[in-house]
Amino acid sequence: MEYVGENLIAGKAGEILVILSFISGLLACVFYYFSSSNAYDDSWRKLGRLFFQIQSVSIFSFIAILFYLLATNSFEYYYVWRHSSTQLPLRFILSCFWEGQEGSTMLWLFWNMVLGNILVYTSKKWEGSVMTVVSSVQVFLSAMLLGIFVFDLQIGSNPFTLLREHPDMMNLPFTSNPDYLGFVDGNGLNPLLQNYWMTIHPPTVFLGFASTLIPFAYALVGLWKRKEQEWIKPALPWTYFGIAVLGLGILMGGAWAYEALSFGGFWAWDPVENSSLVPWLIMVAAGHMMLINRTKMRSMFTAFALTLFSFLMVVYSTYLTKSGILGETSVHSFADGLPGQLIVFLLFYVGLSLFFLFRNGWKFLKKSEEDAFWSREFWIFLGSLVLVISCFQITISTSIPVFNALFGTELAPPADPIKHYNSWQLPLTILVTLFVAVSQFLKYKSTPVAQFMKQIAPSLIISLIATVFLAISLEIRLFFLNLLLFTSLFATIANLDYFVRMLKGSVKKGGSALAHIGFGLVILGTLLSAGNKKIISKNRTQVNINFENNENANDENVMLLKGDTVLMEPYYVTYVDRRVIDKYVYYDMDYLKVNENGKYQKEFTLNPFIQLNQQMGNVPEPSTKHYLDRDVFTHITYADLENLDSASQNMYGEADTLQISIGDSLFTSNSVVKLISFERKIDKETYNLDSTDIALGLNITAKPLGGSAYKAMPIMVIRGNAMFSIADDIDELGLQFEFNGVNPDSEKLTVLLAEKNKNAGDFVIMQAIVFPYINVLWIGCIVMFLGTIIAVINRVRTNNEGK
Amino acid sequence: MKKSHILAIVVIAVAIGAIISMVSDAATYADFQTAEQFPGKEFQVVGQLNKEKDIIYKPEENANQFAFFMIDNNGLERKVVFNGAKPQDFERSEQVVITGHTEGEEFTAEKILMKCPSKYNDGDSEGLTEITADKKS
Repeated sequence: MEYVGENLIAGKAGEILVILSFISGLLACVFYYFSSSNAYDDSWRKLGRLFFQIQSVSIFSFIAILFYLLATNSFEYYYVWRHSSTQLPLRFILSCFWEGQEGSTMLWLFWNMVLGNILVYTSKKWEGSVMTVVSSVQVFLSAMLLGIFVFDLQIGSNPFTLLREHPDMMNLPFTSNPDYLGFVDGNGLNPLLQNYWMTIHPPTVFLGFASTLIPFAYALVGLWKRKEQEWIKPALPWTYFGIAVLGLGILMGGAWAYEALSFGGFWAWDPVENSSLVPWLIMVAAGHMMLINRTKMRSMFTAFALTLFSFLMVVYSTYLTKSGILGETSVHSFADGLPGQLIVFLLFYVGLSLFFLFRNGWKFLKKSEEDAFWSREFWIFLGSLVLVISCFQITISTSIPVFNALFGTELAPPADPIKHYNSWQLPLTILVTLFVAVSQFLKYKSTPVAQFMKQIAPSLIISLIATVFLAISLEIRLFFLNLLLFTSLFATIANLDYFVRMLKGSVKKGGSALAHIGFGLVILGTLLSAGNKKIISKNRTQVNINFENNENANDENVMLLKGDTVLMEPYYVTYVDRRVIDKYVYYDMDYLKVNENGKYQKEFTLNPFIQLNQQMGNVPEPSTKHYLDRDVFTHITYADLENLDSASQNMYGEADTLQISIGDSLFTSNSVVKLISFERKIDKETYNLDSTDIALGLNITAKPLGGSAYKAMPIMVIRGNAMFSIADDIDELGLQFEFNGVNPDSEKLTVLLAEKNKNAGDFVIMQAIVFPYINVLWIGCIVMFLGTIIAVINRVRTNNEGK
Repeated sequence: MKKSHILAIVVIAVAIGAIISMVSDAATYADFQTAEQFPGKEFQVVGQLNKEKDIIYKPEENANQFAFFMIDNNGLERKVVFNGAKPQDFERSEQVVITGHTEGEEFTAEKILMKCPSKYNDGDSEGLTEITADKKS
């Protein structure tokens, strides 16, 4: 069959390029390997380099092809169909690209390729051996895109599979329609990812992931080629580059969660968050171990182990998120994965690392000497150790699904993960921040105690005073939070003091001090905003009649009818209106304050919205008012999304059947309805009734609050043995009445009352949270990033001068 | 004793502590029947929303509580009470995973994970929504 409009050439080219990248990666790896043991013959290295560059070009090209297919809405390709749609704005094309696991693998390949090419030209005598490791990883990664079968075993998943040839689609009717592209539209992008953070967060995280590979390669080569100390110098800038970029990427993810997700915070100890945090922490520990071992071997075994582990944890993270093993435990893990292949990938490098670590590294463990208590290296070592413990705790609790798979247990992740992780991480963070505070003032080898005390005293005293002041003014009561408040202030202030007094404010030398100031601020900001957040949407009016177990009732949500104003200290919040624009429903929430004259005055308006998505569910997105010293976060927890358009707003809803008597009154949503009297004189001609019909009317008045009454007269008609009724409505009030009979026993009248959909109170249920001083966190993040980058630049410069 | 030995002992002790805390804080997958044998203990129950019965949510009375009927994988139905606002689109959910404990006749959920069907993506995690009830603390 000939299909109309398919662009098959692009996909074929993509497929060939994927295979080419796999084969050339393999050849690059082999040739580089030969070159590493053949120092005299440079031709192997040249061949290795040639094939690495062929692979680079093919990676770049198939990425470009996939972008082209996404940009041209080529739904004949499964990946495009699956992650995009015609409605999707072009600016989200990047998010589409890495939404699927093939796309995110490509992103990883891309960064490895970029960093690898920098290494090709900068690593000099290391090129052969280091590039052997780098290109071997590229082989594993490009194998994940192959999508070929070896016997019954599928290797990789090909992003250029055609929609009609995808296993899920094979026998669907559209595959036999030659013109299926005329009506097929894409599945669309998950609405949660339709956010600008999602266009920059994944590439940043993956660049961070990719940069763990370079120190890993150097460390492995250091063990393999027995260059047991030399490896640190070239690897060090890469480690800190990775720390800077991954740290920034993780916090971007936090910013996305804070802005687009509705759990009210930037960190939730979600397994996917954890699995990007752990490699970062290990990398920080590894970087510090590399620092204290670069001039003298003190704890080289730990330096090797941590550097190797930072990359292994990246691969393990990939396994967790891509194998589908997290399943129901995480909101954002990929499902249909390649578990087997990922396990081989992981075990290969774990095996390689352990082999070399024990072949060469063991001797370092035995001959390591003790550091002096008052030396910088001792405290850096302790700090790294605490980071490792922190990672261990996060990793085992995140790995519960892995233990279930391995040991057949049936454990579920903790019901309250935030409490679980915080109970461990809070004390550990206290220790880390304390070490960050003191270690800058300690000297390598040993420090005179009196001098150290004298130097650190000012920061200690200022931090103590600031802690007492903040703890009282912000009403922080928990002991551990106060302790963390002190240590994070101490870390910030001590490093600031060091930067100003010792380094005389020299930015060039101050990278490390600045990065530590930033780290202190990140922790301080987390503590002040998350540890001290105030939920102001407390329900003050609720009548709770239906449920007996009220003692642990959540009181974070408030219902607001349109026009209602509710107190949410220190604001009054009004639900003004909702607007439907395209597929977004915007809610206008006015935040008011009472001024001196006792009148409401508008402070600001927030527009939380709901993104309508038939396919994947509607997604509410919060809206936040940013002040310098606090954020006011507002989120629609629930809203009635039926009858959004004006036509259905004007339709009558389901009628209520009432049993009432003459003289009774009742309330509708907008008025008081009263049954006045029967009406026996019915003009039968007006209603087209036969003269023999018996007709009985019912005089009804409806009086809206503060308005004049409207009248209605529904009629009941008896014709022979049959009975029917003629309804009457009051259009202005959106009320419809039907008189349906008289009950002879109770003498009650049956009246049907229907209201227009628009009468049914348009309401929202919302949540409002104040996050104090959250800007401290974001500022800290930027300072930490810049400080680390300055340190990297400085390190690269001294490395180059050293030659 | 050398400093490094003391450190090693402390690290091992803390690591064991972390493992114990992981096991003790972990909830257990179970069905309603097991959950009812241990009232008050945390369980994670997987099942489906009974769409025949009403979802009880009266925001005008209490915006922070809703209840529904869920059938676990063994076909047992229980009323589940959640202390929080009803999640958007809850009616559409296909599979529900609740974490909580039995209280009398009902199951009190602290966390709900719901999977909404997407027309084409069976078995995919997209459309997975998680909501958590925060307790007063």
